[in-house]
Amino acid sequence: MRLRLLTATAALAVAFCGSTVAQDAARGGSLAAERCAACHGDNGRSQMPETPSLAGQHASFVTLQMILIREGIRQVPAMAAVTEGMADKDIEDLAAYFASLPPGPPDDRPARDAALYAAGEAVIGPRRCGVCHLPALTGREQVPRIVGQREEYLLRAMTEYRDGQRVGADAQMNSAMVGISNAEIAALAHFLAQHD
Amino acid sequence: MTIRRLLAGVAIALVAIPAYAQQPAVPGWAIGRPEGSTLAPHAPRLTVTPADQLPVSSLRLPPGFRAEVYAHGIPGARMMAEGPNGTIFAGSRAIGRVYAISRNGDGTTRTRIIAQGLPQPNGLVMIGNNLYVFAVNRVLRYDNIEANLDSVPAPVELTQAFALPTDADHGGNHSWKFAALGPDGRIYTNVGVNCNICETDRDKFALLVSFNPDGSDRRIEARGVRNSVGMAHHPATRELWATNNARDWAGNDWPDDTLHRVRRSGEDHGFPFCSAGRADPQYNASRDCSEFVQPAALLGPHVAALGMRFYTGTMFPEAYRNQIFIARRGSWNRERLSGYDVVVAHLDAQGNVSRIEEFMTGLRDDANQRFLDRPVDVHVMRDGSLLVSGEQLGAIYRISYQQ
Repeated sequence: MRLRLLTATAALAVAFCGSTVAQDAARGGSLAAERCAACHGDNGRSQMPETPSLAGQHASFVTLQMILIREGIRQVPAMAAVTEGMADKDIEDLAAYFASLPPGPPDDRPARDAALYAAGEAVIGPRRCGVCHLPALTGREQVPRIVGQREEYLLRAMTEYRDGQRVGADAQMNSAMVGISNAEIAALAHFLAQHD
Repeated sequence: MTIRRLLAGVAIALVAIPAYAQQPAVPGWAIGRPEGSTLAPHAPRLTVTPADQLPVSSLRLPPGFRAEVYAHGIPGARMMAEGPNGTIFAGSRAIGRVYAISRNGDGTTRTRIIAQGLPQPNGLVMIGNNLYVFAVNRVLRYDNIEANLDSVPAPVELTQAFALPTDADHGGNHSWKFAALGPDGRIYTNVGVNCNICETDRDKFALLVSFNPDGSDRRIEARGVRNSVGMAHHPATRELWATNNARDWAGNDWPDDTLHRVRRSGEDHGFPFCSAGRADPQYNASRDCSEFVQPAALLGPHVAALGMRFYTGTMFPEAYRNQIFIARRGSWNRERLSGYDVVVAHLDAQGNVSRIEEFMTGLRDDANQRFLDRPVDVHVMRDGSLLVSGEQLGAIYRISYQQ
């Protein structure tokens, strides 16, 4: 029962439509140092395989994903204990903090494979990635920035969406991945990870 | 990306890596979707919005009506059902919760989460003291629920009995349910289409169906209804009426979402061949739209017409008796916002829709192309007031009338 959680966050002031006006990014930074940095990186750029970078990610995206994880809708074993019982305000402040950080690739980003990069770039148009993620693929609101993300994380995320193992707030990503091959996903992941 | 760069990329892929030579055909969901468009679903808000942030003072109603906040702090609240003791149950989609909202002695409300972690538990039906929850294909029955709000026992599992298509069967598309209790004691629900627009198994998807409450005796009530997230039976004629969400990516102003009247079980309403009474540009298959049941009313393009109820109370003026209140959640697949309101479909003596009238407005900010909340369902309380659920801000508004 989460009634306590519902009432505990009732004091939070929020401007509508994904605005982060009233969120406390500084407070989020303190929470992140304690709970997130070990895996997601000191500066929000993950140096850990399979763990996404959150720096420069949109606040609505981070908030939505953390709620989905907290509620057990999106299954991420490593995040279950971290998010259990986490108050809405903590989530919103963390999201505001990560949104305030400059995005960038991980330090260990491997060298570019020109053919794979080009193959991935060729999939972007036919798959209509830019409709939701915007033409620069930097995302907006609940739609994540996907450029400069860790390659193996992108590969896993797209595979999970294709295979129905991950859901968002709607089925847009599941639909966008229908029928895509492993090779195409690998190429897309490489292109996005290498593209700044 | 320019076309030239794109083609160059394809050429490299073809030459260098034969595995990529098989480019996918345009996937179903992308049909009609222009590559340069940036229309996408609006971000949901799944955190608590405090009462003083709710736009109740922005709501506009006809003279004599007033709106107040009935309950708040209910992220993602959607479809509503009422128990015999007055508890309002609210389902949700992304956040996976079912809420119970009870009234305190002082008029305030108390909200409990009675189920969580469910896949889009949008459909709720109250039969006697038992609450049925429809979460995609999962069907759960919570017996004697109002007596057990503080410690909810494990529900009775009816999933196998109903045997609804799974989320995988739907490919994630339109798998969530609306559910209503018919005057015949059967449960009425939707099986939405497994795509935006496609050739589909018309015995399995794009249906209104009914069941005995134990899940037996499935009956197709209407075929060719793309995705209905609102149904109710006429209080006098007992006919089934339903709202329907029309396809996306066919332009800003076509097709309209529609209201459907089901005179006989099993009638064909035409999807995917026809929408809003006209031929589909890609999937008409040379079918004559006049062979299908025509919509009872056009409700506006992309408005997302969802929850609907006949007004059966006595608080509102007589002119509203047995008329249909419809929540329009609001558009995303349209360059300018439409919907974000509650309308009334007025019926004439023959039961035909004579006009659609705006009832609750003020949530759509046309000048700034913003919205303040998204109405998803309406519910007639026993005192005749009307509840409206606002999914975006997790609030339930109550509309009352005084002469």
